[in-house]
Amino acid sequence: MLDDLDQLVAAAISAVFGTMLNVPVLREAPGAPITNGEAHVAGSVGFIGAISGVVFVYSSASFAQRVTRGLLGMKDAEPAIEMVNDAVGEITNMVVGNIKSRLSDRGMDCMLTIPSIVRGSHFTIEPTTSTERRVCLFRCEGQQVVVEVLLRQTRTANSFAK
Amino acid sequence: MRPKILTVDDSKTIRLIVAKAFKPFDCDVVEASNGIEGLSEAAREHPDLIILDLTMPLMDGAEMLAKLKANAELKSIPVIMLTAEAGRDTVVRIARLGVRDYLIKPFKEDALIDRVGRVIELRLKGTTAVIKRFDDPLNILVVDDKPAIIELIRAGLADTVWTVHGRGTVAQAMELCAATVPDVALVSLSLPESGGFTVFQMMRTSPRMKNLPVFAMSVKTAVDEQMRAQQSGFTGIVTKPIDTEDLKSKIARALNLDTSYKYFETREGILLLKVPGNYTPNVANEIGVHLRNKISEAVDSGVDKMIVDMSQVRKADVSVIKLGLNVWQVCEELSLKQRMLGSPAVLLECRNYEETKDWHFECSFEEALAALNGGALASV
Repeated sequence: MLDDLDQLVAAAISAVFGTMLNVPVLREAPGAPITNGEAHVAGSVGFIGAISGVVFVYSSASFAQRVTRGLLGMKDAEPAIEMVNDAVGEITNMVVGNIKSRLSDRGMDCMLTIPSIVRGSHFTIEPTTSTERRVCLFRCEGQQVVVEVLLRQTRTANSFAK
Repeated sequence: MRPKILTVDDSKTIRLIVAKAFKPFDCDVVEASNGIEGLSEAAREHPDLIILDLTMPLMDGAEMLAKLKANAELKSIPVIMLTAEAGRDTVVRIARLGVRDYLIKPFKEDALIDRVGRVIELRLKGTTAVIKRFDDPLNILVVDDKPAIIELIRAGLADTVWTVHGRGTVAQAMELCAATVPDVALVSLSLPESGGFTVFQMMRTSPRMKNLPVFAMSVKTAVDEQMRAQQSGFTGIVTKPIDTEDLKSKIARALNLDTSYKYFETREGILLLKVPGNYTPNVANEIGVHLRNKISEAVDSGVDKMIVDMSQVRKADVSVIKLGLNVWQVCEELSLKQRMLGSPAVLLECRNYEETKDWHFECSFEEALAALNGGALASV
């Protein structure tokens, strides 16, 4: 559906982490996300329009805390769960907003939904029929950051897709 | 007045980042988490700037902006969009909504500060505003449909470095203000269809001009009109025919211009107060405003002698006597030695008062200097 989706995701995640947290993000080889039973926090933002879907950005809960502290300039204080949820939601919103902007420039307009958060240690994200799934793995400060994209084309997006 | 910024974003993280970004500055940041709250806060707080997200629950940024622009009281508040959506179409749509600027998430705090600083004046906490001097350039807007008045003011201010921008109509005046906010405005109340009051209201509802000193120009006898202007909140009244010396003084006071350099200087380690030949009530007021501070500053920097030069004063009355007594009192309090130079007019006036009839005046700066260096404590 989108041949360069991985590149769009990589550019978006690098822009968000680089700009907001001033930390580099490296791409990992394709594979399955690490599931070691550790608690994870996932932010999700949907997009609806010429192309529809949902993007999940997730990492371990401890890394999400570090991200929150970095965003808010907190030194050692432990951010409240609500604060971490909000920060992960906003990071996800920025990543999806960045991707959406690139799609919009190609004529694939869509609208974003409000971010939502999933927390847990044993969750999987499964696509339904006719939905394309992409998993992009990244490493940031030694921690894995996962971006999963579920895509469904709702009108003639192929004619615009690269 | 501290500028106020309203940040409207459903993400608490973004609101906290905005608050953190402006923490070093002397400004207030208020928050709202959606468009409905944003409108309510805008009406309550009347912020100088709104930083507005686009995608929010209940009421999004586009709807809030449309409602803001439809509200006569709020429509002039500048808005900077802060959004994660940066596609070409979105940017065009945002621009059409009438925003001042937009910033795309992710963003650097410095970029946000830069954008905001282009719209409102940001000052770091602990710093004070740069005090302008009377001889600094100023832009004076004069709104009057009578070119002769504009020319009279221009000629009267010709000995300053101030620039007079004359405009004959409300539209022309607001067009100039849209391009550059003047430092002070003089608005004629005799403009057709109460145009003077219209200009004033437009200025007061603009965040960029709400603190602009605006003087009403009115003929001396139009008392009702002047009363209405005062009730409306004009900074002051300038009566026609215009006394340009009085006008200069009013402008200086309204802008808190530093005029002390006109009267005070430190020469050869001595604080010198030069009283001008034409000692008007305005001059008396300006000297009076600075007197104690300038003497205190001088003492603080190690100066312990002062000379009051009244040798140029052509016409002396009780106000000159008051000045002399005032200086004497402050010098006594701060243990400053002082000597005076006087003109014949001052000497004559001094003879009329018990407190000053025995005052001694030196004939020149050098003589006063020698007397001070002789070590005698001032006795006037």
